[in-house]
Amino acid sequence: MPETPQPPALEFHGVGYTYPGAAIAGAQSAEAIRGVTLDVRVGERVGILGPNGGGKSTLLKIALGLLDGYDGEVRVFGRSPAQARRDGLVGYVPQRVEAELGFPVSARQVVQMAATVGVPAWRPSGAGVRARVDECLEMVGAADFASRAIGKLSGGQLQRVMIARALAREPRMLMLDEPTVGIDAAGQERFASLVERLNKGLGLTIVVVSHDLRTIATSCDRVACLRRTLHYHDAPGGLTPAVLAEVFSHDIEAVFGEVHIDAHAAADCDDPSHQHHHGHHHHDHDDNDHECGGGHP
Amino acid sequence: MRTIEYLTSPDLASAFWAVVVTGLMIALFAGALSVLVVVKRLAFIGQGVSHAAFGGVGLAYLIGVGAGNGVGAGLGLLAVLLAFSLAAALGIAWLGERSGARTDTAIGIVLAVSMALGFVLLREAGARAAVTGSPAPPAIEGVLFGSVASVSWFDAGLAAVTCLGVLGVLFLVRRPMLFWAFDERVCEAFGAPGNRMRILLLCLLAIAVVVTVKLAGVVLATALFVLPGAIALRLADRLWVVVGLALAAAVVGMLGGLVVSFELDLQVGPGVVLVLAGMYAIALGVGAGTRRLATG
Repeated sequence: MPETPQPPALEFHGVGYTYPGAAIAGAQSAEAIRGVTLDVRVGERVGILGPNGGGKSTLLKIALGLLDGYDGEVRVFGRSPAQARRDGLVGYVPQRVEAELGFPVSARQVVQMAATVGVPAWRPSGAGVRARVDECLEMVGAADFASRAIGKLSGGQLQRVMIARALAREPRMLMLDEPTVGIDAAGQERFASLVERLNKGLGLTIVVVSHDLRTIATSCDRVACLRRTLHYHDAPGGLTPAVLAEVFSHDIEAVFGEVHIDAHAAADCDDPSHQHHHGHHHHDHDDNDHECGGGHP
Repeated sequence: MRTIEYLTSPDLASAFWAVVVTGLMIALFAGALSVLVVVKRLAFIGQGVSHAAFGGVGLAYLIGVGAGNGVGAGLGLLAVLLAFSLAAALGIAWLGERSGARTDTAIGIVLAVSMALGFVLLREAGARAAVTGSPAPPAIEGVLFGSVASVSWFDAGLAAVTCLGVLGVLFLVRRPMLFWAFDERVCEAFGAPGNRMRILLLCLLAIAVVVTVKLAGVVLATALFVLPGAIALRLADRLWVVVGLALAAAVVGMLGGLVVSFELDLQVGPGVVLVLAGMYAIALGVGAGTRRLATG
């Protein structure tokens, strides 16, 4: 096993999570994810594609250190997810519907909320914080409407403010949850170029979670397809039309063909060489055992 | 003008100035909390908490705590009310967090049970007092809608301490509280406290409501924690302007309500609520007008 000069940005090894019994009433199984093995290196742009209810938000919550009691191992920049969260290593851009948009705050104040996390109450937020807030707003192109009320922004503007907020603590990785829901075509293009700028310019590792193939195709270099477990991982050499076609068909299968997918996943485990067709080749360590072992105990 | 007579007559002035000071202190902390109550939709929880206080009043008088006008009686009553209301607030929060249980159902049950319990206990306490000759519990009407007669300088002091405490705590946690209030489901991902802010706010609300209940009444106390915030949010969308307007609305509503209740010989609760409701109606009109101007 070759030595890695720095730990990966995000490592999942055979990670499973089952919501405790009563949490999901009436559901046959509360298992959200199973045997997920994922390896995101520093500076990569990785998309996680999957249908709604496929376990994407569970995966995000675990990576953000908000969900404990999972099986397997998770490291974020070599630390536990909770530690990485305390250290502000991960910037999070949620789906926009979750915030209280009737709240009387300006875009700048929203960014400032994140910039002042951990600043003691008796200390006023100084010039350093203000400069950082302005810098983040500038970076995402939100300086023009920084003083407008948050509830009066368009979907695209709001999203840029949310990204600025995620940048406020100077993270090393950005995790974006369904970043293009409710955003028009022009806004989606702006989003893709913004992600590229943050990735290339600041060296930020990017993880995009979405059910929308187009979002991931336009903003990521690698794709993983998640429906309870990862079915596909890596798209070496970028997203070629052939790769897109394959991912897309996986997505269709994930939505409509559960039986087929399960058989497929089992086949992957029986025949590890099969997975290499899907491009599991440039990992520093062989994680096929984790993926199969975790997925089919 | 009875108001001027009450506040200047040598016999009455002290008692009525105690009422005014109590009202002002209450208005300040209620106005500050009301913005959070409106934005976080806690009005109904506040209602549940204040009605729980009615059960507390009944229990306090039944076990002989709270009768009389001394500091000991005041503190005893306060302790029982606080226990009841904090239990109600935390119980409602706990029920609401468990998936499957509905917060509004929990509040509906807590509210009705506290009212029924309070009524039965107060009746029982009254019957016992008549037999033993001990001080009678206050009239139910006064407990429900507030009373001036029961408010003393002890209550003014209590309201002042509560005001300092509530405003001080809100100042200390202003940053995490703001983050939580704006984006409850996300703040923890940024390393800011989440659920702790909800519990803290509910405790502050429970304490504030308990201190308010004596003056404004069990039924109407929560109006002071809702209407100022609702008025301010109609008129502005800048945080500190909204907070300032809410404080001003609460103070004006309280003083106006006291004048109305002095003049008409009403309970304080209805007077304050009607003045605040009138202000809200005006704010609705002004808000609609400025919006029409802004859109052309």
